[in-house]
Amino acid sequence: MLAYARKLSISRRNPAFRHTGLHLPMTPQAQELNILLGRVATMRDRAAFAALFAHFAPRVKAYLLRLGAPPALAEDLAQEALLSLWRKAHLFDPAKASAATWLFTIARNLRIDAIRRERRPELDPEDFMPEAAPAADDGLTMAQDEARLRVALKNLPADQIQVVELSFFADKPHSEIAAELDIPLGTVKSRLRLAMARLKRSLENASGENASMGDAP
Amino acid sequence: MSGPAHHPGEDLLLAYASGAADEATGLIVAAHLAYCATCRRQSRELEALGGSLLQELAPVPMASGALDAVLVRLDGPFERPPRAASRDGTPALLRSYIGGDLSDVRWRKIGPRLAYVPLFRRGGATVRLLRGVAGAQTGAHRHAGLEYTLVLRGGFSDETGSYAPGDLQVMEGEMRHNPVADPGEDCINLAVTTGPLRFESLLQRIVAPLFGF
Repeated sequence: MLAYARKLSISRRNPAFRHTGLHLPMTPQAQELNILLGRVATMRDRAAFAALFAHFAPRVKAYLLRLGAPPALAEDLAQEALLSLWRKAHLFDPAKASAATWLFTIARNLRIDAIRRERRPELDPEDFMPEAAPAADDGLTMAQDEARLRVALKNLPADQIQVVELSFFADKPHSEIAAELDIPLGTVKSRLRLAMARLKRSLENASGENASMGDAP
Repeated sequence: MSGPAHHPGEDLLLAYASGAADEATGLIVAAHLAYCATCRRQSRELEALGGSLLQELAPVPMASGALDAVLVRLDGPFERPPRAASRDGTPALLRSYIGGDLSDVRWRKIGPRLAYVPLFRRGGATVRLLRGVAGAQTGAHRHAGLEYTLVLRGGFSDETGSYAPGDLQVMEGEMRHNPVADPGEDCINLAVTTGPLRFESLLQRIVAPLFGF
């Protein structure tokens, strides 16, 4: 399926996606997914959409099932999530997120709206107060960060991975997660803190290396 | 420019980014993010964690014909919800809850110097806008639960520090404080509380429940 993206040569010339080819840390797969999403955004490319669907819809469905959605609803919402991807593709900013992260936020919001009968208060980009000029991380995209993040995540101790996963997949406050794991709330929080500190270090190290290395090795 | 000085803790940002936060908590964190580039960056990193976890999940096959079902809908009608512009800089995400701008709010007075307007109550959390005239005191109180306060206009100070627009104060448990609105401009806050406030003055203890505090 992703072979489709490999055949494309023009995408990297799109200035919006120029960062994605510069550094090796981003996995080839993440890069291809970003390119496909770029084609959906700029060319309304249905074949690219079909490839994204094949990759992401089954993962979004898995995510919704993990969070307790009934199978029929998980199927529906996974389809809705990919439809949203098509409609909102022009809003995708590869400097801020990878395709996977962007889709995660879409699925997260759809689930809250559908299952909880609550609204998810959504930030409007126009709400942002003026901010300083782009930080020193300019040029290092979140998508590249994420490759590091994924490696760091896999290298966490099992008890830390568990609380991180439950934070995203349990839809429960930490007090309930603690009860479920039969450990004190303080332990849940300290494991999370340790995990977050390690994950953050992996990102900071990445910025440091990129600053000193310039282009990819 | 430097952003707000008081931020949500990482636990609140994680709750927001993971989708586990309830609507009230999500709203006040999102409103803080509107002011705070630092926390937006942090929230994006936490979302990236969600993206990484999504990527690692074992795929569950979609129903047969799922792709075709979506493909035929790609060209279907899709209307973006209309969005009216704010006249006074009220963040759009708050406008949808207020039903307009901050300057349109019809305040309910609690005494001469304080006013409020309820926004919603859900799952044990109550969300309100609070307004104190410049220099007003809320009255010393404790909380049975949590109190999150985000400054939207003006500012206030208490035992824990000074708070300006965009600053988020988190009070937990039995902490006591006595907020005083800064002089100069009325202070307008977005407040999320779980559990009633416990005032120290007898009069306020009698009056507060009448207003649902």
